[in-house]
Amino acid sequence: MTMFHFFNCAILTFGPHAVYYSATPLSEYDTLGTSVKAALVYLGTALVKLVCLATVLKVSENDGFDPYQELLKAVIGFIDVAGLYFALTQLIHRNISQNHKFQAVGLGWAFADSVLHRLAPLWVGARGLEFTWDFILQGLEANANLVLSISLAALGSLMWLRKNKPKTLIPIIYTCAGIVATMPSITSYLRRGLGWDFPKVVVFELFTSLSMAFISWQLFSACQRPS
Amino acid sequence: MALSKNSGGHRGMQESMYSVIALVFILVACVELCDAAAAIDVYRLIQYDMSGSAYGSRFAALNHHAASLHFPPGADLSRAVLIIPLRELNITFVREYINQKKPLGGLLFLLPDIFSFENGGNKQVHEKEQLKNLLAELEQLLIHANIPYPVYFAFENDEIDTVLADIKKNDAIGQPATATTGGYKLVIPTPEPKKVASPTITNIQGWLSGLKADGDTNQLPTIAIVASYDTFGAAPALSVGSDSNGSGVVALLEIARLFSLLYSNPKTRGRYNLLFGLTSGGPYNYNGTQKWLRSFDQRLRESIDYAICLNSIGSWDNELWIHVSKPPENAYIKQIFEGFSNVAEEMDIKVGLKHKKINISNPRVAREHEQFSRLRVTAATLSEISTAPELLQGTGGLYDSRQFVNETAITRGVKLVAESLARHIYGHQGKNVQIFADGGSLAVNPAYIQSWLDLLSQTPRVAPFLSKNDPFVMALKKELTDHTDEVNMQHEVLEGVFTFYDSTSARLNIYQVASVTFDLLLLLVLGSYLIVLFSFLVITTRGLDDLISLFRRPPSRKVKTA
Repeated sequence: MTMFHFFNCAILTFGPHAVYYSATPLSEYDTLGTSVKAALVYLGTALVKLVCLATVLKVSENDGFDPYQELLKAVIGFIDVAGLYFALTQLIHRNISQNHKFQAVGLGWAFADSVLHRLAPLWVGARGLEFTWDFILQGLEANANLVLSISLAALGSLMWLRKNKPKTLIPIIYTCAGIVATMPSITSYLRRGLGWDFPKVVVFELFTSLSMAFISWQLFSACQRPS
Repeated sequence: MALSKNSGGHRGMQESMYSVIALVFILVACVELCDAAAAIDVYRLIQYDMSGSAYGSRFAALNHHAASLHFPPGADLSRAVLIIPLRELNITFVREYINQKKPLGGLLFLLPDIFSFENGGNKQVHEKEQLKNLLAELEQLLIHANIPYPVYFAFENDEIDTVLADIKKNDAIGQPATATTGGYKLVIPTPEPKKVASPTITNIQGWLSGLKADGDTNQLPTIAIVASYDTFGAAPALSVGSDSNGSGVVALLEIARLFSLLYSNPKTRGRYNLLFGLTSGGPYNYNGTQKWLRSFDQRLRESIDYAICLNSIGSWDNELWIHVSKPPENAYIKQIFEGFSNVAEEMDIKVGLKHKKINISNPRVAREHEQFSRLRVTAATLSEISTAPELLQGTGGLYDSRQFVNETAITRGVKLVAESLARHIYGHQGKNVQIFADGGSLAVNPAYIQSWLDLLSQTPRVAPFLSKNDPFVMALKKELTDHTDEVNMQHEVLEGVFTFYDSTSARLNIYQVASVTFDLLLLLVLGSYLIVLFSFLVITTRGLDDLISLFRRPPSRKVKTA
């Protein structure tokens, strides 16, 4: 029965990625290679971030919110953005339209994130007899993360791959990208600084990810109109 | 050059591979640890066979849902564990369940803190006596019943109290825990209990030689002081027997210490040998004492003037009893009793004499002095209890904890015995001489008594579970060695009438589980979520037609093949 629970949480955490790949035209154009490459770039980025965090951060005794530490963590979080830039621009992709490129990169990015951060706790924790809501909430978080990654990839492709953008929209694009990139810091501030409990944080993440996705969709279609 | 570099690189990689694999194994192994909502120590009901009949709880492993006393009437409890706190115990309910052999998954009794040594220290609880009597009754019921499911004891603490409150709430709204409705699951993963092979009983004796006058070839007379040190109770891991017979052991050790001080100087050494005996096998008709006496050679046995057995002298106020088997008119008995009465009068203690004839054909030996009497040695037992206990009763069970023993009582008892013995040895009968006066160098030491009593109250001493070289037995031997001239240990096997089984304590894990229906429901919800997501994505990216076309086979292909 507890393997059952593990199976449930696993399909909640990883199912949407597979569904996204098969439902959208990504599967038709066989963009699996791009996603895999993006996943590998994510692993590399995660390693670099780990090393930076280990050298810069000091271990604090209390679980409170230390603004200086959080600021450092946010700055290191921008390494994520750099990694995404690398994945979008530097890797050689086959001839796929920009539309699909950012989706594939975002998908691979989110999948690698889920596997790295959520598979091990799931395997160790969800198979035991004891029941907690944590793993279901973690799965919902993975869903929100998928949406956020794809919107970040979309904004990233707008910023770096598209040459002609309407002038008025540029600052909006950059602010949205900034917000999405600092999402991890915002959630950790909510959890530690304000003391929100896990379900509330997950609801917040889902809400913001959907709204960010909507905004970036609008921006993307707005940028696409002139060309 | 390149080759060696390569192989070096390969070896490096192999090593890192091994460490990664090792890490993975450790990770996988950690699944079962630190998983539960609560984990507490529990102690199993004793399991033993007596003359072929099975008694006690016959199973150890537990894996059932928890239920409380508020279960809805008519609920099926054959796969549930009843958690019963002692304060809410209804003894007739339990008796009914056991005697009518109603099916039950298991029983867990929660004992209040006062019965535990660590926490029960000095708390004042109002219903102490009531709880003690209730627990004694429960123990007798459980020991003499054959229970085909696991029975465990645990001490109340905050974790289990919250769990129990939760279970009661669930039961009250009519939702007892089963596989389909979720709730709490109690798991004790122990293997099947096995028989304890050849349980040993160890008798320890200490010999203090008296002063032999020059040219005297006769054997000096001997006085024996005996106490049995082992216990028997419903939970062997908790049977510390502070009063029965921790108090007797402590008194014996203190008397040995006092007389060793007197005997260390030849000027004050008495003309009697002193034999101190710490016997085992007490609850089993004083089997150990019998074997110990049988091992004596004839001359020694005949030289014993009399023996004093100490049993349960820890919680009396003003009255003690001397139990004898020879009739009170017997000259020796009169002498002993008078000696004790004189000292007792001075100390404001009332001493009564109880006579009970022994029946050689009856194997039941209620008091230790009877084993001596069966071999024609004059003996008496000093005890606070006036009636003779039944088999396996009053042998230091769960209720016999440190809280209920009074060091002052033991101190006074020691003074009484030591003074009476000394007056007999040095010939001061009837004279008002205080050898062990308070405040003198030979005063009874209350700190010594308290520290040994505390040690005994923390050491469960059920004989089959004490090995030959158990640290406690070694400690007793060392203590006697300090106070006497010669110490001997006698190892015997407990007679075949009793067989014991191991697995006396375990760790209980309490898990909060979700029901099967919950998992199925979750699967349904997730399945529909994924399907909705799939359709949504197809519609938004490829159009509605594509979605419909997924479900319709394209007809053109069939035409082509045909």
